[in-house]
Amino acid sequence: MTTAIERRALLQLLGLGIGGATLGLSWPAAAQQTDAVTIGWPSDVPSWDPNQRFTPEAQHLYKLVFDQPLDQDPKLALVPALIKTWDMAADGKSLKIELRDDIVFHDGTRMTTEDFRYTFFERIKAGHAVDTKNSWRSVSDIEISSPTQCVMKFASPAVTAPQWLAFMGSFVVPKKYMESIGVEKFREKPIGTGPYKLVDYQLNTRIVLERNEQYWGPKPMVKRVTIEIIKDPSARVAALQSGQIDLTINVPVREVARLEREPSLAGEINPITRVMLLQCRNDQGFTDQNIRLAAHHAIDKAALSKAFFNNAAVPLSVPVTPGTPGFPADYKFAYDPDKAKALLAKSGFDMGKPAKITFGSTNGQFPSDYDIARAIQQMWKKVGIDAELETIEYAKYFELNRGGKLPDAMLYSWDNATGDPEIFAGYLLNTKMPFSAFKDPAVGDKIAPLFGVTDYQARIQGYKDVVKFAVDYGATIPLLQSVQTVVRRKKLNYEKFGNGWVLANTMSWS
Amino acid sequence: MLATVLTLIGRRALLSFLILFIVSVLLFIVLRALPVDPAAMSLPPNATVAEIEAKRHEMGLDLSLPRQYLIWLSHAVSGDLGSSIQFRRGVLGLVASTLPATIELAVLAMLVASVLGLAGGLALFHVRGTAKEPALDLGTVVLLSLPEFLWALFFILVVGVALRWLPFTGRIDPDMRLPVTTGFLLIDSWIAGRPDIFRSAIEHLILPSLALGIAFSPAIMRVLRSSLLDVYQEDYIHLARLRGLGEKHILIRHALKNAILPTLSLMGVQFGFLFGGTLLVELIFSYPGLGNLMVDAVRNADLPIIQAVGLTYCIVVLSINTIVDSLYVILNPKLRLQ
Repeated sequence: MTTAIERRALLQLLGLGIGGATLGLSWPAAAQQTDAVTIGWPSDVPSWDPNQRFTPEAQHLYKLVFDQPLDQDPKLALVPALIKTWDMAADGKSLKIELRDDIVFHDGTRMTTEDFRYTFFERIKAGHAVDTKNSWRSVSDIEISSPTQCVMKFASPAVTAPQWLAFMGSFVVPKKYMESIGVEKFREKPIGTGPYKLVDYQLNTRIVLERNEQYWGPKPMVKRVTIEIIKDPSARVAALQSGQIDLTINVPVREVARLEREPSLAGEINPITRVMLLQCRNDQGFTDQNIRLAAHHAIDKAALSKAFFNNAAVPLSVPVTPGTPGFPADYKFAYDPDKAKALLAKSGFDMGKPAKITFGSTNGQFPSDYDIARAIQQMWKKVGIDAELETIEYAKYFELNRGGKLPDAMLYSWDNATGDPEIFAGYLLNTKMPFSAFKDPAVGDKIAPLFGVTDYQARIQGYKDVVKFAVDYGATIPLLQSVQTVVRRKKLNYEKFGNGWVLANTMSWS
Repeated sequence: MLATVLTLIGRRALLSFLILFIVSVLLFIVLRALPVDPAAMSLPPNATVAEIEAKRHEMGLDLSLPRQYLIWLSHAVSGDLGSSIQFRRGVLGLVASTLPATIELAVLAMLVASVLGLAGGLALFHVRGTAKEPALDLGTVVLLSLPEFLWALFFILVVGVALRWLPFTGRIDPDMRLPVTTGFLLIDSWIAGRPDIFRSAIEHLILPSLALGIAFSPAIMRVLRSSLLDVYQEDYIHLARLRGLGEKHILIRHALKNAILPTLSLMGVQFGFLFGGTLLVELIFSYPGLGNLMVDAVRNADLPIIQAVGLTYCIVVLSINTIVDSLYVILNPKLRLQ
């Protein structure tokens, strides 16, 4: 038996929610304006204090509002910015600096050496919660001789101080302004000397910037920049396709090829100064050098690049990216499964009696990380290495490393926007630093002295030699150079930087 | 009736404090058991062991677990839930600034789930015993088997990308600004006399709330249908028919009033799940609520935020349960007599 509810009434009831919600609504694609751009970005800034936290993805955004004392050109060479000239002393313990005299903060006040000293010395001494206190901990003083001239003094040689002045967290903040309103208020209403002023910020949602008409450098072509924080890659792609954004980064490689087929879009897969590698221990299952080297010879890096990065990720023999100063172009470490088997046989292992190691990987920290680890696990199996794979949160890496609890091999990604070899091999293999898992002094003793070499050419050559030694010693297993994907409207141009910076102040519409 | 409801709320409030205390202890223990060092996480990777130890001491992490909890509790009752490791800001402020967005989304999604669930339940009841019943039944099974994040992706692709009818990122259009009064955009826009912002906020809410609401509606449909089937077996329905009352009148005035009670209970439980379901939906729609904050916190092992968001979810669920129980008392005279 059915109840006699009128069909019309029922249909009206059902349709009420859905029909009423969408009726009459339409969302036109954002009209393309030549003086505005909307970017879909995968993460927000941790705060608007640019010295506070070392977050690589946030550096692109900070560079729009703040300036670094030195800058890098698209090929990553150091170039003057706020600093006009710089001169490192022969002992590496003092850096003479001359600032430009035509720089003003967004509130119109002039930027001077007082601000420079405040940023790199006084804030740290005052105990502000800034990560720069670790990168600039060796600064013993900054002696000011004029509003544009000063000398940075270091307690120990700091030969890469110029590189660090263009690196993570090194943005000059206004002393008077910050002291007058306090750090908390500064985070809410930040000002810098950068090409854009912050006009609106909504946590985890949106950043709106307007061109700084008093900017000392090249005036940006785009007047208004909106950064939409869209963490999900699929949603970023959808936002681009629907016209809600004009450019985005870090979309899956296979999506780039698909999106490129759309007539209005262009996509790029750019190799950047980031390496994917296996951080190795020198004990437990990896005590034996033969096993470490066999593990390296067994990995077909070209196959990994083809399978996961459409051949765009360059296979690496050393933990340094091509085109950067410390890259030894003449060195190759071969993919040779037979050699791997021979090395294992020397130590008494074969397919029937495999060498057992532990293997860790992040899952979702960088594209296809866990899948790459599983592929490597299979490659090892074919030569006689049985790896027990486990997922390790990226946030736990340092904690595990400090406690000596990392697995024998750990799939890891290392970013170095400067391209300097100290921040590649120097940090990754220096046994005294928390990044290194390989604690054998045979490598550490060769790396540590390079931190004090002030002669640039000698330092670079030193790193070229030591990375070759480290790979031959089985201290590290470099895999691939990472890539950054960029998809944009075809008419939107931007400048490609070797370190993957995507900066709105270099963008223009054609 | 008011006295009964107030007594119930009073009892529930007392019980809620006890539950909150237990949840806070459990959360504290679980988070401290994780192999993550909040002191090390608070510092950059190149911090020395000595610096980490100093930080650990500063954060009180070298004290015994009960002592740590008591310190945390004493701060928490005075409104200090600690400082975020990632943002280096007070956690309470972060939660307070994101909670209204999530409540707005959850309430609208519940509205969608209720409208669809009640309408669907009535439709299912209406077609019972007919050839249409299996088809509609199958429809509810399909709805039930699709999780909210798949609905989210479906709506983005169809309504957002293909049809371009509605926006699917953020809470309002990029060129709109609104001073924060309550944090609830739908309220603040009216306070500020900005119907354009109200419209924009609604447009931004439609797709995420549909994705969440649709996923939670089939359970309501099925419970309402089965409750109606039970109620229609009761004598008073037959008596009503004998009295010559129309089927529509019987359904609305007699059957639905009784069948709605178990449905209401279910909706209360569903709201708790739905509130938790905002996490993924907020991420996909770049909706700046509590869920989005939680995803960031988990990614960065930001324990103070995880703890505060966990407690907030607990408070919301307890509050909803109290409201539903009160409604139950209001709607069911039997309970008032008890």
